[in-house]
Amino acid sequence: MIRYVITLCDGPSCMQKKSKELQEIIEKQLDNLGVRQKVQINLSGCLGMCAKGPVMVINPGYTIYGNISEKDVPEIIESHIVKKKPLAKFIVDQDHLFNRFYRVFGDVNFFGKQMRIVLRNCGIIDPENINDYLSVRGYEALAKVLTDMSPKDIIAEIKKSGLRGRGGAGFPTGFKWELAASEESLEKYIICNADEGDPGAFMDRSTIEGDPHTVIEGMIIGAYAVGAKKGIIYIRAEYPLAIKRLEKAINDARQHKFLGDDILGTKFCFDIEIRLGAGAFVCGEETALIHSIEGSRGMPRPRPPFPSVSGLFDKPTVINNVETLANIPVIILDGAKWFSSIGTEKSKGTKVFALAGKINNTGLVEVPMGTTLRQIIYDIGGGIPNNKKFKAVQTGGPSGGCLPEIYLDTKIDYESLLAAGSIMGSGGMIVIDEDSCMVNIARFFLEFTQNESCGKCTPCREGTKRMFEILTRITQGKGKEGDIEKLERLGNMIKKSSLCGLGQSAPNPVLSTIKNFREEYIEHINYKKCRAGQCQGLFNFEINEKCIGCGVCKKVCPNQAIFASPKSKYQIIQDKCIKCGLCFKVCKFNAINKILKEVNLWKRN
Amino acid sequence: MANPLEIIKKKRAEAINSIMSKGYLSKKRVYVGMATCEIAAGSKDVMDVFKSAIANGLTDVYLSQKGCAGRCNLEPTVEVIEEGKIPVKYCKVNKDMAKDIIEYHIKKGEVIKDWIIK
Repeated sequence: MIRYVITLCDGPSCMQKKSKELQEIIEKQLDNLGVRQKVQINLSGCLGMCAKGPVMVINPGYTIYGNISEKDVPEIIESHIVKKKPLAKFIVDQDHLFNRFYRVFGDVNFFGKQMRIVLRNCGIIDPENINDYLSVRGYEALAKVLTDMSPKDIIAEIKKSGLRGRGGAGFPTGFKWELAASEESLEKYIICNADEGDPGAFMDRSTIEGDPHTVIEGMIIGAYAVGAKKGIIYIRAEYPLAIKRLEKAINDARQHKFLGDDILGTKFCFDIEIRLGAGAFVCGEETALIHSIEGSRGMPRPRPPFPSVSGLFDKPTVINNVETLANIPVIILDGAKWFSSIGTEKSKGTKVFALAGKINNTGLVEVPMGTTLRQIIYDIGGGIPNNKKFKAVQTGGPSGGCLPEIYLDTKIDYESLLAAGSIMGSGGMIVIDEDSCMVNIARFFLEFTQNESCGKCTPCREGTKRMFEILTRITQGKGKEGDIEKLERLGNMIKKSSLCGLGQSAPNPVLSTIKNFREEYIEHINYKKCRAGQCQGLFNFEINEKCIGCGVCKKVCPNQAIFASPKSKYQIIQDKCIKCGLCFKVCKFNAINKILKEVNLWKRN
Repeated sequence: MANPLEIIKKKRAEAINSIMSKGYLSKKRVYVGMATCEIAAGSKDVMDVFKSAIANGLTDVYLSQKGCAGRCNLEPTVEVIEEGKIPVKYCKVNKDMAKDIIEYHIKKGEVIKDWIIK
């Protein structure tokens, strides 16, 4: 029976200080003392205490030992595990906000490799009870800034931390706040953008549902820094539970004097209102979002003027993403210096990703910037199910691109993903295996953006529609020579000439799949072949000799395309078949074959 | 007038006291995941089982809801935490399993190993 879990930090900094070697010594010592069965040893991702490395955490109890060397290990193990007395002289006594989830989840591989700042309380505390949040140092960051930090200090601290907007574009948050703070206006606004529209992304919903107060606290601090008196949380109406918890959290915060007039006995006044979005994807774009709050139709407008100069009701406005705001209390309490030690040179901190698609462990993961795609997909995500081959990973939702295997060792940050031909986006990550057709995936995302285009500017409205038509044609086996070039020309034109981010990024899934999987497009067009067998125009169903004539397939066929002449096997009328695949699914005798078409144009000539 | 930091210190102490008075120091703490995703997977039924067990006389248990921990494919999840022991995390819990968890783990202290997240 396992009684203790030892977690060794295996981040780059601790690894340099020989954390791997320590593992062997620990194991040896455990054997010597005869307690090997009681202890489980895990290697974790960066624990964010690089200055104190190598770091070792012993659970239960969440005792952190820092600066340990080979010769200290036997002493610590003997004292802590055999004598049950934690060895005080190596204990790091820091009440960090992040990684508290280690107390509960530290022994599970999926969690152990992560570093949680934004999701620090998700799955640990009761989101509907403000006392739970207060007990984990909730609202202490707010009290700290109100006690001894001026708005200028806060902005300087956030700038120093290197925090960048987590909504996708990665604009430095401190700089954004500074721009709004320098505007002179009696009225200013701060808006929290919780209009999460990317298919497959749900980190904002989880953050709000699991820990609503941290978003509110981040917002109040932001308001204090820029001088806003009013905050608005713009959230989609499709998230009823998140809205309910936010409302409760806001009311609780008002009762505790964290919101309203004279916050915590100071002269500072601020209140938050919730506005519901009707679920248009374009309203995630900041100027469209502002129009929607003002009561007009959600359509973007040209920038400049940027919202920080003239935003909501033409007043200076700061718009931050949920995840960005959830980082703020941690930066204030644990310090910008600590925060900026995590991540890469240009992208600091962590990023939450929603893992979905063909992967064993689907779910939310939070990792430091600079983690590679391979680590996320294989170490945390557990690889591809059913021994299938990895084909691509799609990041950034409908605005991002598909990255093939050669990019698996790309370190995740804003710049490197952009260089690879995708974007960070809001953090959707869809894993694609060999059973999926890349042309079809590009078509799926384009269908989404094409539907969601607001229609204001022509390139986006007409261009995406034409691209979608061409892609549909290709997947139906009616592709023509020159289609790829046409898609590329149209795509680049839309990117250059669209008004807002939606249009500027809509062709990305198509362009990146053409760049990385051009051969699949060529197969579809020239040989009418879909190697994944997904495109409906490019395969046939046929009944083979295993058919026993049970007739199940005939019953389920929605288009009466299956018939049987007396005393023979069933047959499919190809002209009538709509390729729905129902007969293929219900047949218990493997009597239906899916036959991929392949036309060799050279032979036919 | 106390400054905000002092106010928050007091509030934190009050909050901890209030949680304690609800039985936080009970022998076992049970957390049931209650985010949209977990409710969709059926965690409300599981929560009801625990609630009715407590209403019917199960004592020395602190029951609380929690947000989503991020293990979508294993939801609903239930954690049983005992001070000084590694927390036990059950996955894909349904009504009947919840009853078994109460019967075996909470009453008799036998961890049901097959249902634990690895």
